[in-house]
Amino acid sequence: MRRRPATCLAAALTGAAACLAACSPSSGDGANATPQASDAPDPAIAERSLPGRTTMLAMACTGCHSEVGEGIVSLDTYSSEQLVTSLTAYRTDADGTTVMHRLMRGYSEEDIEAVSAYIAEGGAP
Amino acid sequence: MILPGLNRRSVLTGIAGTAALAGLAPGAVSQTRARLVVIGGGFGGATAAKYLKRLMPDASVTLIEPNAAYHACPFSNLIIGGGRALSEQEFGYRTLRDTGVEIVHLAAADVDADARQVTLSDGASVPYDRLIMSPGIDIRWGELEGYDEAAAEIMPHAWKAGSQTTLLRRQLEEMEDGGTVVMAAPAAPYRCPPGPYERASLIANYLKTQKPNSKLLVLDAKDSFSKQPLFEQAWAERYPEHIEWRGASDFGRVVAVNPQAMTLSTEFDEIGADVANVIPPQKAGAIAGKAGVADQTGWCPIDGLTFESTLVPGIHVLGDATIAAPMPKSAFSANLQAKVCAAQITRLMAGEDPVSTVLANTCYSYVADDAAVSITGVYTNDGGTLASVEGAGGLSPLEAGSGVREAEAAQAEAWFRTITAEAFG
Repeated sequence: MRRRPATCLAAALTGAAACLAACSPSSGDGANATPQASDAPDPAIAERSLPGRTTMLAMACTGCHSEVGEGIVSLDTYSSEQLVTSLTAYRTDADGTTVMHRLMRGYSEEDIEAVSAYIAEGGAP
Repeated sequence: MILPGLNRRSVLTGIAGTAALAGLAPGAVSQTRARLVVIGGGFGGATAAKYLKRLMPDASVTLIEPNAAYHACPFSNLIIGGGRALSEQEFGYRTLRDTGVEIVHLAAADVDADARQVTLSDGASVPYDRLIMSPGIDIRWGELEGYDEAAAEIMPHAWKAGSQTTLLRRQLEEMEDGGTVVMAAPAAPYRCPPGPYERASLIANYLKTQKPNSKLLVLDAKDSFSKQPLFEQAWAERYPEHIEWRGASDFGRVVAVNPQAMTLSTEFDEIGADVANVIPPQKAGAIAGKAGVADQTGWCPIDGLTFESTLVPGIHVLGDATIAAPMPKSAFSANLQAKVCAAQITRLMAGEDPVSTVLANTCYSYVADDAAVSITGVYTNDGGTLASVEGAGGLSPLEAGSGVREAEAAQAEAWFRTITAEAFG
């Protein structure tokens, strides 16, 4: 699937299920980890690779938007910026009534930024 | 999107770290594969097994499930309304097995939490380091006077998908036009809060189109129910001649049934039925009681961060069996709880504390075969307490523009494909 402009995503995402996330730097998500090329032990890798708050936030998204199952709108092809724009638009649109509007009102800006980056990077390493 | 896969070496490193923290000889844990055992192969259990294996590829993950295939409850009301086959609800465990999960097709007969082992129905023992139980519901036979397992063959509950579902469908097909269908809806908590009313809608839709002189009477043990304004609107618009709902205040609560006479009794009257769908009181699956994770309510209290039982350490409980309110007893909830639980167990096995997150739920209900409504919720779990986020979640709009109900029906279909692939694919 080709990337679409972010303005289209909000329209495309009439589907269900929330994405969100707030990721503190110490919460140990894999999103910022870099793959280890060496086999040398690295005590830091475990914490960096362990699933943290953001990973668990994204787990709510895959109830409807998943790489399997031909669900409601695949999120694979969107950039972090496109996702932030769209998810924030849901959150702030007072007249919106879709599942995504109702869900995104429960997420903070930090949640939205963290989960958008996580999804755009393809999840944990 | 690729959801979380861990570098296998990183997990081993983490487990070795746990051993050091626990005062064990380094390597004592890492030399032994973590033994993770899951009881129950529904939306919670199958998802948990999949994600535990994905997050900890070196761990031994065993799923204990007596049935070779699972029949999904979501969408099973469409079978009762006509136009959907039970085969479309059937999901197996082959993919899960192919990913390295050991599937044991036996029932879990007992759990010894002190010895940390599960006893199977053939007497064999399965030891565990952590046990994940997703036992679903069992019927409280006999709690509703006259309603036992034999009665359910005459007055089906159809609250576990499978032969009960097709039995109720067959009874509706065989009923003469002009007949009366009576549904008894239970008091909360029970599996799938909006389920009785989705079913009522789809039965009414069938009667209206196929047996127009017939009627559905819903006798309810409650005065209010999930998605009530949306259902009442749909019933008034679509089925004004075919559905009547009586709440508890109008003596709607069924206190006894008589399958031989085909009658249901309230505290006020006795009502004859040509087809009776009795949705009875429920509790956590029986194995939860044997494991000691169910309390006096019959349901399982859990820590909202990790879904670990607050009664028995080392056992996590997921899905319909839990006391997770405000999260409802839904397939979406079970699937998400399973993923979050697997993530937290991965942290615990690596010697790290669990972290808080935000959870969500979405449930669609059909109000006709091509129209649906939804309810959503967003939940924090800070400090282990699940709480709704104020200002978020809620129902589909009552004043919906043209095509909104139909769009939600299409979304519901896509959701079903995704959630079943998430759990079983």
